[in-house]
Amino acid sequence: MKGNIVIIGGGIAGMEAAKSLISLGYSPIVVESSTKLGGHVASWYKLFPDMSSAKNLVSRLESEIKGATVLCGTKVISLNRLADGYSLKLSNGSVVNASALLIATGFTLFDAKKKEEYGYGVYDRVITNSDLEAWFSEKKDARVPDEPESVGFVHCVGSRDLKACNAQCSKVCCATAIKQAIEIKERFPYAKVYCFYMDLRLFGKKYEDFYINAQRDYGVQFIRGRVSEVGETLDGRLQIKAEDTLSGKPLKVQLDLLVLMSGIVRNQSIGELSAMAGLETDSDGFLRSIDNEYAVIESNRPGIFYAGACTGPKTVPETVAEARSAALAIHSYLETL
Amino acid sequence: MAERFEIGFHPFVIPFLAGMVFVLGVCFIKAVIVVSQLDEGDRKKWFRSLIHPNILIKNLVDIILDCLIHVRLWKRNKVLGFMHSSIAFGWFMIILLGHLQVLIYFPEKLSTCYYPIFFDYFIEGGQYTVISKIMDGFLLLILAGIALAVVKRFWSRLFGMRRTTRPTLYNLIGLYSLWAIFPLRFLAEQCVRSGDLSVPLWWAYSIALCTFMTVLPFGRYLHIPAEMLLITFRNAGVGITQPHKGMARVQADSCPNCGVCIDACPMNADPANLKDSTVYLTRQLRRRNQERIREISDKCLLCGKCTSVCQVGVDGPKLRILSRAAKKYRISPDFSNAGAGITVPSAENKVLYFSGCMTSLTPKIGRSVESVLKKAGIDYEWMDRDGGLCCGRPLYTAGRLKEAAELAARNEKQILESGVRVLLVSCPICYREFRERYNLPGIRVVHYADYFCELMEQGLLRFEKSDTCYVFHDPCELGRGCGIYESPRRLISKAAAIAEAPKNRKESVCCGGSLGSLSLDFSRREKITAASLENLYRSRADAIATACPLCFATFARYSDRPVKDLAQIIDEQTKQI
Repeated sequence: MKGNIVIIGGGIAGMEAAKSLISLGYSPIVVESSTKLGGHVASWYKLFPDMSSAKNLVSRLESEIKGATVLCGTKVISLNRLADGYSLKLSNGSVVNASALLIATGFTLFDAKKKEEYGYGVYDRVITNSDLEAWFSEKKDARVPDEPESVGFVHCVGSRDLKACNAQCSKVCCATAIKQAIEIKERFPYAKVYCFYMDLRLFGKKYEDFYINAQRDYGVQFIRGRVSEVGETLDGRLQIKAEDTLSGKPLKVQLDLLVLMSGIVRNQSIGELSAMAGLETDSDGFLRSIDNEYAVIESNRPGIFYAGACTGPKTVPETVAEARSAALAIHSYLETL
Repeated sequence: MAERFEIGFHPFVIPFLAGMVFVLGVCFIKAVIVVSQLDEGDRKKWFRSLIHPNILIKNLVDIILDCLIHVRLWKRNKVLGFMHSSIAFGWFMIILLGHLQVLIYFPEKLSTCYYPIFFDYFIEGGQYTVISKIMDGFLLLILAGIALAVVKRFWSRLFGMRRTTRPTLYNLIGLYSLWAIFPLRFLAEQCVRSGDLSVPLWWAYSIALCTFMTVLPFGRYLHIPAEMLLITFRNAGVGITQPHKGMARVQADSCPNCGVCIDACPMNADPANLKDSTVYLTRQLRRRNQERIREISDKCLLCGKCTSVCQVGVDGPKLRILSRAAKKYRISPDFSNAGAGITVPSAENKVLYFSGCMTSLTPKIGRSVESVLKKAGIDYEWMDRDGGLCCGRPLYTAGRLKEAAELAARNEKQILESGVRVLLVSCPICYREFRERYNLPGIRVVHYADYFCELMEQGLLRFEKSDTCYVFHDPCELGRGCGIYESPRRLISKAAAIAEAPKNRKESVCCGGSLGSLSLDFSRREKITAASLENLYRSRADAIATACPLCFATFARYSDRPVKDLAQIIDEQTKQI
C-alpha cells in the first residue's frame, strides 16, 4: 500500500492536488461525495478578477486527472488508523488503505434563511450569490425579473456576524459582489445597482482595479452600511432599510432584486470525519492547521494534510497553490516512510 | 402558682430589654423614613388603606399567610416551608401565648415586658398551666426547624438548592444567635423545672435575644419587619417610583436572602453572572454600593423569573429599570420628527394589526398572522406594514422613561385616530408595553395567541392536525409578563402534538436574546440560550414553538431542530373555509 494516497473532496483543491501527485508518479484516489467533480467552482459562472470561465477550469482539471481513480457519489463511512497509514471504509462498500490522506473538503455556503430579516425564502425577489451564478449560466430562475430597474447586493451575509455565529471574514464575497454587480450591469445597463457593504476588503492582485472599474465604468453605487431589514411593497417590489454610515443618514431603497452574498462557513459535514480521524477544529469550526503562518496544510495527525477551504475561506489561486504544496508535502512525507 | 421573688426582677433581663428597645426604635425610624419617601399620592393611599376595613383584613391575612406560615415557600419546597414556618409561626405563638399567660394569671406584670419571656424563672409552678404545655409543643416545633436550618446551612443541596448566598458577617451573627435562642430557652426552662434556677442559662438566653435583635436591622433578618410593611404597601397599591427610596427600599429590605432567585436566574447558566441575581441587587441596595447596583441592573435580562419565584415578591426587573433610569445621558434623542411620514390607515370597525420592529426582522411571522386573518375572513388593516414607530419598550427597559413615554404618546394618538376597536399585536414585547403603559380607552389590545384562540372557538379556523410534536417555549413577556399560558397550548394541541419542557409556564427559561440586558454582549448570551434550549430538548419534541419574534430568532440561530412561531404553525395547519 505504500504510495497509496486518498484525497477526500473533488473540488478544485482535490483535483489540483491529484494532478500534481500524478505528475509526481502516484495514482491517487479521489473520493467525492456529490455526483460530479468541481465543487463550488463548478457551479460558478465566471471567476474574478479576469472573468475567465469557471467551467473551463473545472473541465481542464478533469481531463488532467485521468490517471487518478475518481469515486463520485462516495462518502467515507469510517476511518481507522493503522501502524503506517489509514484504512478507510467507503459508502460503495470498498475498503481502501492509504499511506497519506489529503483533506480537501472545502466549505459550505452560509444558509441565508438564517438571516430572516433579509427575507431569503420569504420574499420572491431575494436570491443568493450562488443562485445568481446559476442564473448567469442557465438563465432559469423565476425570481430574477426580466428587466430589473434596480438591483441590490448585500455583503457579509453570515460573515463577520456574531449573530449568525460566524465571526470570520469570508474573504471572497467583496470581490464576488463587485464581479456580479458588473455582470448584472452588462446584462441590464439601465438598472441601478447598489452594493451595501460594511468594509471592502480588496486585498488581491487586480481587485482594486476591479472596484474602480465597477464605479467608474459601470456606475455601481457603493453604500457603506448594513441593511437592517427588507420588506415587500404591495406591488411585490422589495423595500430595503439601511443606513448610509458615511453620511450618517437612514435610507430606504426600492429594489427589484436583492442578492445576498452568503459567506463561507465550515463544511457542515466535516464534523464526523474530523472526529473519526482525530483532527482538531478551530474556534471558527474550520479544521485547525499546525500553525497559520508556516504549516497551514499540515494537520495534527501524521500523514493527513489539508488543502483549500477546509481550513478557512480561500480564493481560487490560494486554493490551487495550497493543493500543489500539499501534493509536494505528501510526496516528501512518503519518501520518509 | 405564685411569684418566686417579691422583687420580680433580675439583671439578666436587661440585655433583652435593651435589645428590644433598640430594635423597635430602629425599625420605627426606618419605617418613618420610608413612608416619608413615598410620593404624596402613594402616602395618602397608604394611610387611607390602614383604616379601610377590607384592606385591613387582607393585610392581616397576608401577613399571617406570608410572614408566619410561609405559604408560598410551602408551595415551592415543602421542607424549606416547614423549616421557616416552624420557626416563624412557632416563635410567634410562643410570644403570643406567653403574653396571654401573663395576662391571665398576673395581668399587673404585663407592663414589665419581660415576664412573658422569662415566665418560668419568675413564676413558681408556671410550667403546669395548659398554655405552658402548648408552648412547650411550639418550642419543640421550633427546635425541629432549627435542626433543619443547621443541616441546610451546610448541606443546602439536600433541600434542593443548588446555590445559596454567602452570608455576610452580620447575617452570620444573626443566624448563630437565632439558633442559640431556642435551645438556651429550652435548657433554662428544664433547669428551673428540675429545681436548679440556673441563672447563667437565663443570662445566655437573654444575651442571645439581645444579639439577634441588635443585628436585626443590619442584616437579612430585617426582612421580618420589612415584609409586614411591604404587604401593607402592596395592598394599598403603592408602586416603585424611585430607584432606591420608598417602596424600592422596603422591597430591598424585605429580601430574606434565601437565594431561591439564584437557581432560578437564567443568566447563571454562565457562572460569571452568579453574583448578579436579584438577591445580590437587594444586598447592594442596602449597602448603597452604586457601582455594583449599576452593574447588576444593567446586566439583567429582565425576564422576571426571580419575581415569579420570590417568596416576598421583590420586583427585581422594576428595581433594575428604575436604577437604570437614574443614569444621566448627555444626549437625548429627538423624536419631534419621528413617524412624520407614517400614515395609519383608517380602521373603523376593523382589526388593526401592529407587528412591531422585531416582527419586521422576522417577516415570516407577520405574513403568517396576515394569512390566518385572511383565512378567518377578518377585516383588518396592517398598521406598520411599511414601517412604524417603536412601541417604546426597549427604551423603557433601558430606563429612558421620558423617551419611551414620548413614543407611546405618538403611537397612542395614531391608534386612537384610526378609530379602531381591536388592536392585534404579534410581539409580546409590544403587547406588554401596550397593556401596561399605554392609555387606549375603548380599545381592546390583544395578542394573536388569545385572538386566534377565540377565532378557533368561533369556528372560523379549520385545523388539520399534523404529526409533528412541538414544545412550547413561554416567552418571558407573554407568560410572566402578561399571564398568557393557555391560549398558545390550546392552539398547538389543535394543530399538532404538544409536549412540555420540565421548566415551563412561570418557570420558563429566558431564551437569552432579551432586549432587557444592556451589558451582556452576544458571545456571553450563548450559554444562556444553550441552557434554555437544553430545557426544551428534554421534552423530546421534534420542533420548538414560541410566540415571540425575539425568542424565535434567538432559538433559530442555535437550535438543532426546527423552530417555528405559533402563527406560522397555525397558518400551516389551517385551511381556507
